[in-house]
Amino acid sequence: MSTVLITVSPEASRQMRPPRALYPKGFKIGNSLGRPFMHELHKRVLRDALSLVKEAPMPGEIIEREYPEYTIKE
Amino acid sequence: MSQLHRKCVPFTPYERELSRATVAIVTAAGVHKKVQQAFNIADELGDLTFRIIDSSANSADLMVTHHHYDHWDADSDINVVFPIDALGSLANEGFIGGLARSHVGFMGYTMQLKRMYEETAPAIAEHIDKQSRADIVVLTGG
Repeated sequence: MSTVLITVSPEASRQMRPPRALYPKGFKIGNSLGRPFMHELHKRVLRDALSLVKEAPMPGEIIEREYPEYTIKE
Repeated sequence: MSQLHRKCVPFTPYERELSRATVAIVTAAGVHKKVQQAFNIADELGDLTFRIIDSSANSADLMVTHHHYDHWDADSDINVVFPIDALGSLANEGFIGGLARSHVGFMGYTMQLKRMYEETAPAIAEHIDKQSRADIVVLTGG
């Protein structure tokens, strides 16, 4: 099976060298997909994570993406 | 663990289209169904068991038992660590083929890393492979 990790602890995850991983930049622990009820953001993060499965392989790398709406809602 | 294991990344390509993929979620965030036995947070060594969450479960059926991260947000919306609603939406839109038969929750905190690695993780992989039948697994933590 193919796997993709969504991590909010990129330093710890990097040591595990996951086959594919997405770090939504600045998301805190317990908010892997965003804050509660941010349905569109949850979907975007999940869609981006799943898309890594079809992108050029970079095993062991953590892909960092910005999601400004996460912080705007602060 | 051998040197080889330390250096190699076990990468499995996915050759088909995402729109044909069945997807499961495996989370270390302590997610389980409310009707299932909670994880044992009283044991200082952690809990090596996992819970199978059938695909028919919806977000209101789920809860978190974990004492090593702040799950206040997940208590109000489980989707922040276990994106079951988002996955359903992506299936409805045709972005993915569908949800796998089941998902898996476990409590990522343990002092028994060797047993987690050698017993729990292979048992979860076996479930995904033989029962859940997922092509792709999305992993989340707390």
